[in-house]
Amino acid sequence: MAIDAKMGGRPLPFPVGRLLTPTFSVTTGALVLIGLLVIVPLAGIATALASAEGPDAISDVFTGRIARNMLWVPLTNTFTIGFVVAASCVLLGGAVAWLVTMTDMPMRRTIGVLAALPFMIPTFAVALSWTVLFGDDRLGSASMGLFAQLGFDMPAWLAWGGVPVTLVLIAHLYSIAYMMIAAALVLVGRDMTAAAEIAGASRAQILRSIVFPVVTPTIIAAGALCFAEAVSSFSAPAILGLPVRFHTLATRAYGAIETGTPERGYVLIAVMIVVAGAFLALSAFLQRRGQAFTTVTGKAGQRGRMTLGGWKWPFALAALALVITTTIVPALALLFSSLSPRTGALFTDPTLHYWFGASDPAIAQGQAGVLRNPQLLHAVWVTLGVGAMTGVAALACGLVIGSAIARTKHGAMAQLLKQLSFLPLLVPGLAIGAAFIGFYGAPIGPLPSLYGTPAILVLAGVAATLPFAVQAVASARAQIAPDLEESARIAGAGPLRILGAITVPLAAGKLIAGFVLVFVKMVRDLDLVILLYTPQLPLLTVLAFRYASDGFAQFAHAIAVIILLVSVGAHLLASGFGRASQPWLHD
Amino acid sequence: MPPAIELSGVTKRFSDQVALDGIDLTVDHGAFCVLLGPSGCGKSTLLRTAAGLENPTSGAIRIAGKLVADVARGLHVAPGARDLGMVFQSYALWPHKTVRENITWPLRIAGLAEAERKSRLIEVAEMLNITPYLARYPSELSGGQQQRVAIARAIAPRPSLLLFDEPLSNLDARLRVEMRTELLTLHRQTDSTIVYVTHDQVEAMTMATQIVVMNEGRIEQDAATATLLSEPQTAFVAGFVGNPPANLLTLRRNGTGWALGAQTIAFHSLPLDHETVRAMVRPARIGLAKQPGERRVAARFVEALPFGAQHFIQLESDAGRITALVDDWQARAYGSGLYVELPARPDAVFDSDGARLT
Repeated sequence: MAIDAKMGGRPLPFPVGRLLTPTFSVTTGALVLIGLLVIVPLAGIATALASAEGPDAISDVFTGRIARNMLWVPLTNTFTIGFVVAASCVLLGGAVAWLVTMTDMPMRRTIGVLAALPFMIPTFAVALSWTVLFGDDRLGSASMGLFAQLGFDMPAWLAWGGVPVTLVLIAHLYSIAYMMIAAALVLVGRDMTAAAEIAGASRAQILRSIVFPVVTPTIIAAGALCFAEAVSSFSAPAILGLPVRFHTLATRAYGAIETGTPERGYVLIAVMIVVAGAFLALSAFLQRRGQAFTTVTGKAGQRGRMTLGGWKWPFALAALALVITTTIVPALALLFSSLSPRTGALFTDPTLHYWFGASDPAIAQGQAGVLRNPQLLHAVWVTLGVGAMTGVAALACGLVIGSAIARTKHGAMAQLLKQLSFLPLLVPGLAIGAAFIGFYGAPIGPLPSLYGTPAILVLAGVAATLPFAVQAVASARAQIAPDLEESARIAGAGPLRILGAITVPLAAGKLIAGFVLVFVKMVRDLDLVILLYTPQLPLLTVLAFRYASDGFAQFAHAIAVIILLVSVGAHLLASGFGRASQPWLHD
Repeated sequence: MPPAIELSGVTKRFSDQVALDGIDLTVDHGAFCVLLGPSGCGKSTLLRTAAGLENPTSGAIRIAGKLVADVARGLHVAPGARDLGMVFQSYALWPHKTVRENITWPLRIAGLAEAERKSRLIEVAEMLNITPYLARYPSELSGGQQQRVAIARAIAPRPSLLLFDEPLSNLDARLRVEMRTELLTLHRQTDSTIVYVTHDQVEAMTMATQIVVMNEGRIEQDAATATLLSEPQTAFVAGFVGNPPANLLTLRRNGTGWALGAQTIAFHSLPLDHETVRAMVRPARIGLAKQPGERRVAARFVEALPFGAQHFIQLESDAGRITALVDDWQARAYGSGLYVELPARPDAVFDSDGARLT
């Protein structure tokens, strides 16, 4: 590649001796990592658009005969989904957050723990569970859902298309809004509302003039994040939209890349990045004012709870219904579906065939149960291996970048490194996958193509999860006050001794939590890997998606149950069942 | 004029603990009343109950003669209608409002006209030297400045009663001394009554006209500063107030004398109807000697702490740790065979439950 050759050939503009200073080498390492993982692949998309086919693809997509079906209809769908999802998530998540943190609602601890779970349940699993419950016979009897089997006449709009995609995304994403808004509400100290009470403000005035304005920046941020996640999502529209030709930008881009017109796909992906990124950037700008709020001193944790009186139980039941519908119901739907002998016979003659059964030509074209299927067992190991390697590699990169940020302190370099390492947050997973296939999918100079190797999956995974890894390292560092290391130094301990005796033991918890987060994100991800996987490297999510599209619903659902268990289990372990991530549940 | 605030029989129970246990307290108009006690003694709860932020479990509260809480009648006047201002330890400034808005928003809620709001703002801003910061947000101010804004916000509505909940504990030592002076000036200028919670007895001694010592939800003593030092009502007060606090020696009756550790000593006018008493002896009344003698107890030198021209001498005896305040220690204190000489009459005597006997 041209860029690479130029970089390699340029003489170093400074004395080599400077390379020996730790700050310089760490900073250089951090820049190289970010460059290879984030900048170069994204630049690759831009390069592709600037190539010979680029301008044609752009004009095709924006103004050509296909523009309406290719861009404008999917774009409208994407925007509609994004806005409805963002608004609903803020409303639902905000309401649950308010009930859990600010009122005397009964069962608020249980509800709080459950409300954090939907985010750990992969979207594609929720989408599959939707078909279990609401599917109709439009795609043949294999997709008959529970309600259709019970004799209800499923309206088409409820079974497939925009409405279910939107609802599934809400069920997944409202829990992010809950976590963010609850964390912000906790910052509205008891004293802050007490001071307003003493001034004579009414309850409504306190809510309107004190509580609401303080959490507004967070509400905006939560809305923007839900919007960006919704418009980036590939799996929900792929499972619930594609069967009825309902398209979003993500499914159109995927289709274009899979059908041999990648330039058109890149154009759509560029549009996606702009749409998702613009809202996140806007919210980051608005949040800058919000950030200042969090520095206020206050006795957090001490809060007066609003008494709900007669509304106590109605609120509790409504909240409970919401969290159960979005956690236990989809999980059970998938589990029961994987135990049903045929699709369309949900509770009759449960069987473990799809889990443990040997190959039987009479069932599912002779496919063995998932735990007997060599391809599937292979996929389990590949998935866990790729997840673990990504976790380790992402944390290693996080450590290098984190040290570079710490060493350059508050200078411009630290700012640049921070901004660049958080860039992947603005980029949809599908786009990162496309960028990696575009750039690392072909040989680079003497380096072979990475396509079809685990390396490309791990690299793309590290790029996508870099913001979380950098954040985990930063919060692990923040955990250690400088005087802890300084006092060890004064006691005469050398750097290695300090690392082993002070730094690592104190930071271990946060680093492990960071590893688990990255691992889980990889294990349950479909958007990022859908373009990168090959049959030699089967991943669980991709297999589930393939099985579902090919009509082997029970296999898909059994795999979804496995992923769900791994994902939720690892999350719960890492967060100490909410103890670490939701301190407000334990005061 | 009725008392600024009057609590009668106020009890506050949280689910598993009694925070206030039958509090009776009267604070006269114009007083600077300090609630002093160790953390967890209930002083902050008392303040919050007076403000109406907590409802008492039983009892009644009057502010300026007006009944604001009476559990027996189910009366609970809202905090905003009690004519009081409060300054919180955390300052509790509203982070999304500028200094100006923080001060004027309560005035607007109180229904004051624009012109009046403006003149009050100018007045309190000048009084607390925060005029240059009116357009800033709280996060753009230092701790000391935030503190001043919190006080300005509390006094702007001109409440008859001002409540302070450990307001200076988040400031550094120099600012704390400075703010103490300013609070006294403010007290004089505003002619208000102040109820002030602290665990710092220097703060209490230097500002209060009335000190209420609290412990475990009860009032141990309610007195003027000088009285508190000279006439502690309970052993808790004797052992808590003073810097350093007075010595509290446990004495067991032994015939007509009193056993202090292994030694029996003759004390005057101790109540002989008690088996065990606790005698308070101030450090200044304890002498040091090289020879044994009447009322002399063998002791070992531990440390000498300079105190102006004098020294506090810490000694270890078999009756426990004893502190003496002496003029010239070097000649006498070192070496073995040291004795502390106790006065013939202790400064105060308490029974084993801590109640004052003589």
